[in-house]
Amino acid sequence: MSRLLIALDTATEAVGFGVGRFDGVVLDAFESGSAVAPRRANTILLSTLAGALERAGERISDVRGVVVGRGPGSFTGVRIGVATAKGLAQGLGVPLVGVGTLDALAWQLAGAGREGLVGIVGDAMRGEVYPALFRCEGARALRLTPDRVAKPALAAEQWASETDEPVLLCGNGLAKYREVFSAALGTGAVFADEATWWPAGAGLFAALAGLEAGVAGSLERGDAGAVLPIYTRLSDAEENERARAGLESALPDSGVVGGGERA
Amino acid sequence: MAWSIQTFSAEQTALCGRVLAPLLGVGDVLLLSGDLGAGKTQLTKGIAWGLGVAEPVTSPTFNILLVHEGRLPLYHFDLYRLDHAWQLEDLDYYATLEADGVSVVEWGDRFAEAAPLDGVSVTLCIEDDVKRRIDLRPLGPRGATLSGLWATECDQIEGVSVVEMGR
Repeated sequence: MSRLLIALDTATEAVGFGVGRFDGVVLDAFESGSAVAPRRANTILLSTLAGALERAGERISDVRGVVVGRGPGSFTGVRIGVATAKGLAQGLGVPLVGVGTLDALAWQLAGAGREGLVGIVGDAMRGEVYPALFRCEGARALRLTPDRVAKPALAAEQWASETDEPVLLCGNGLAKYREVFSAALGTGAVFADEATWWPAGAGLFAALAGLEAGVAGSLERGDAGAVLPIYTRLSDAEENERARAGLESALPDSGVVGGGERA
Repeated sequence: MAWSIQTFSAEQTALCGRVLAPLLGVGDVLLLSGDLGAGKTQLTKGIAWGLGVAEPVTSPTFNILLVHEGRLPLYHFDLYRLDHAWQLEDLDYYATLEADGVSVVEWGDRFAEAAPLDGVSVTLCIEDDVKRRIDLRPLGPRGATLSGLWATECDQIEGVSVVEMGR
């Protein structure tokens, strides 16, 4: 029996959405897109999803699984997306699976036929970025570095020192820091078109299929209560709490807060 | 370079805001601090006036954020009622400051850890019934440029005096 799935991501200035069907082997993302709407995710997310379902000729009551981008990205945006996805999954009584927002972007590029090193640069605000390096090959994206927050110059120099290959750069962090990456990577810096900066259903579904457990396995254990946002940078409240408790490192080695590698 | 501006009426304070408006660009941030009645809202009204905002501007003490449409969007914050810096995340504060408009933040010095990377810190002091001192302190390179241009403009306003304070 095939399963109707919906996907959403609001970690960036865009609302990413998708409607797909998993037939047990192949996940067909037949509705996929992203609507750029800075700081308006809360007002357009549900209507955008409803519109995608309508165009696909499907009904929300037939949805059998929800996929959400967990970030990292805008703190507020990630919370809107994850909270909405949890509500939808709980209300429908269907599984919820989380995927990394940066992973979705990399898988999206891989799915579009891009090959080689891909550097995703998410905007972390306050002068920082979420850098993540992937290798795209045969429509798959292999993650090379964990989610973390970094100064743009530091991230760019690290990538420059680690490889001589060209790096395809993509993500909303480039709106502010394109020059920084261009300076560090020189002719090795290849910039993806701004239209590709936004995670859409295709990338979210591809990232789901790329999870170790696969689509079926991930859905089977997809528990809405267990899906957590990836914040990477702790909120100031959490930082203070940890400092008061005398904890040395505010962040685990993975640089990921909330859920770790768990999907 | 810091600057100190003296005004002698609420109208002059508003005019100082008005002459700032044409200088403002996307992403500019002003942190306003000062006692009640020092002129934070007057100054903001002047900025809104200069940006071509048609609707009346009131202090967003209870709303925390009010958005006004003008030549650029004006994001008018009042952090007075917040108790913790993390509550700023609920407002999408950082993304708003770096968005497509100008941000004016009353009680913007409330949380040191939430200071923007650049902009101008504006402190309004009550000198007497009508006299106000407006101190400009740049928070970064853009703030330094903006403070200098703004002080020069204020100096053109009749009755307003401007003093350069050095570093």
